[in-house]
Amino acid sequence: MNFSRGWLTLVVTIAVGCQAEQSTIPITNSQDPSRSDQAKEVDVSLALNWFPEAEHGGYYAALVHGYFKEEGLNVTIRPGGPKVPVIPDVAEGKVDFGVDNADKLLLLRAQQADVVAVMSPLQNSPRCIMVHKKSGLTKLEDLANKKPFTLAMNSGQPFAQYLKKVVNLDEIQVVNYPGNVAQFLEQSDYGQQAYSFSEPFLAEREKSDPLCLMLSDIGFNAYTSILVTRREMVEKKPDLVARMTRASIKGWKKYLAEPDQSNKYIHEQNPEMGLEILAFGVNALKPLCLPEGFEETQLGAMTAQRWQTLLNQMTEIGLVKPGTLKSDETFALQFLNTATSVVVTPK
Amino acid sequence: MILKRIQSWLINEVVPPVVLFAIVVAIWQWCVVAYRLKPYLLPSPLAVGQAIYNDASLLGRAVVYTGSAALCGFFASLVIGTLIAFVFAQSRRIRSSGYPYFIFLQTVPIVAIAPLIVRWCGNGFQSVVLVAFILSLFPILANGTQGLLEIDPNLLDLFRMNNASRWQTLIKLRFPSAVPGLLAGARTSSGLAVVGAIVGEFFVGYGSKRFGLGYLINTTNDQLQIDRLFAAVLTSTLFGIAIFGLVNLISVTILRRWYDGPVEDQK
Repeated sequence: MNFSRGWLTLVVTIAVGCQAEQSTIPITNSQDPSRSDQAKEVDVSLALNWFPEAEHGGYYAALVHGYFKEEGLNVTIRPGGPKVPVIPDVAEGKVDFGVDNADKLLLLRAQQADVVAVMSPLQNSPRCIMVHKKSGLTKLEDLANKKPFTLAMNSGQPFAQYLKKVVNLDEIQVVNYPGNVAQFLEQSDYGQQAYSFSEPFLAEREKSDPLCLMLSDIGFNAYTSILVTRREMVEKKPDLVARMTRASIKGWKKYLAEPDQSNKYIHEQNPEMGLEILAFGVNALKPLCLPEGFEETQLGAMTAQRWQTLLNQMTEIGLVKPGTLKSDETFALQFLNTATSVVVTPK
Repeated sequence: MILKRIQSWLINEVVPPVVLFAIVVAIWQWCVVAYRLKPYLLPSPLAVGQAIYNDASLLGRAVVYTGSAALCGFFASLVIGTLIAFVFAQSRRIRSSGYPYFIFLQTVPIVAIAPLIVRWCGNGFQSVVLVAFILSLFPILANGTQGLLEIDPNLLDLFRMNNASRWQTLIKLRFPSAVPGLLAGARTSSGLAVVGAIVGEFFVGYGSKRFGLGYLINTTNDQLQIDRLFAAVLTSTLFGIAIFGLVNLISVTILRRWYDGPVEDQK
């Protein structure tokens, strides 16, 4: 057993060593014949689903630290905002790659947008309901018995529909999400939708006592900030997709370890996003990207089972008609294996 | 006689727009098929029709809520608009001091005011009515004021010669003269009240189980179910047209019975 393990390690180390060597050789001198036709840099566009913030950190890190350039990719990152149609634009070919969330992808696939996910930097969703610590609530199920209570969330969103299905919200008042934390700061029997790396910081800064009740705790855990592209790219230009995925994963590893340079760049792109909240964001992202028991080498991984679970949940809440989607058509895992297995953080 | 009236109304007022609608729908269906448009971009008319059929009871309930809010807002703007118009008609100074603020109400984007309304008046029916009221007030106010001021000077002299009191002049001369103007304003306001109710619902909720057309438009958009979105938008449009038609009908009836009839008749 130990003997064959030793041989395997040797083979893997050699393979890794070859990979590492290749990435330091300038593109024009490459001895690998499969890379000779990629001597020119390829222009690639990446569309974000919101204004630049910590949840896009890894992609910006790949840009700032030159990982995209190393792979021969000249990437332009297109910032997003409210209601920006990332996945439709990817489906139409207006942008090559996009960043969005898994539930959105399923909704659009149900409308025949043939876009697939290739990588997910976050393993657990930051989606949560932010309540006050002094409210005494410890889990989402407690909302069923809390009276009086106001919950601000956009009820049309998949997570909100799922929450309504799993927890009885008839006793509390559900209102539209106002887009800011002002009401939260004023009322103590108030909860609102939030991302764990964002709104709690704003509340804490105003001396409040926010507590995040994670949607993933009741089982709704959509992959977040996933890298998506259209199926045509996966089939006709797999090498390009592999390079993009590889560089993005490397960027995310770098972002989680050394975010300062990337955060500075993000702040320049989005002055509204302060350096403090970005730093807070990175710390909040670490347990989401690399949860307990999850190896750093696996960053970006997705499982078929998670996708099937999400599809089942979305069908259950009536957002996807049963039988219209096959979960294994929504993702492509082959590009994850090409990522280097070098561990960045010392043990 | 009335049968002939209805027949002529159908041929002149109903058939042309319906024919145009049918042509537009046919072109739409052709585009979807010919350009192989995917549902996330543009659903086919058949898909939208299917969505209307599936959502019929949902849309019906939504129309009730939105419609009630719109009608309440509309009546509020009718009453309050007329009252303010009377005050404005009293003196030039009052007009010049008050008018700019109402113009401000007309021009400030409702998407900026609505969140403030939610913060001050809370969620619920009253806030949606308030948004509908704000949006529909100005046409009635403007047209009402103008109607009250444009009195035939000879009639004014007649009243003065007969020693009519200010109150009598107001009730027997000014108000009846203002009615055609108010009705013109009311026609515009009715449509705006519907828009106001729908936009208000984007920001304000009614409570857990109740929802209006604005809520449906928002959620179907969030859920990227474009065929259902079109269905909700179409229902809103048809409802707006229905309200406008109703107000128009009442207006024409009043004008025919007590006045020389609407402008089109007079030519």
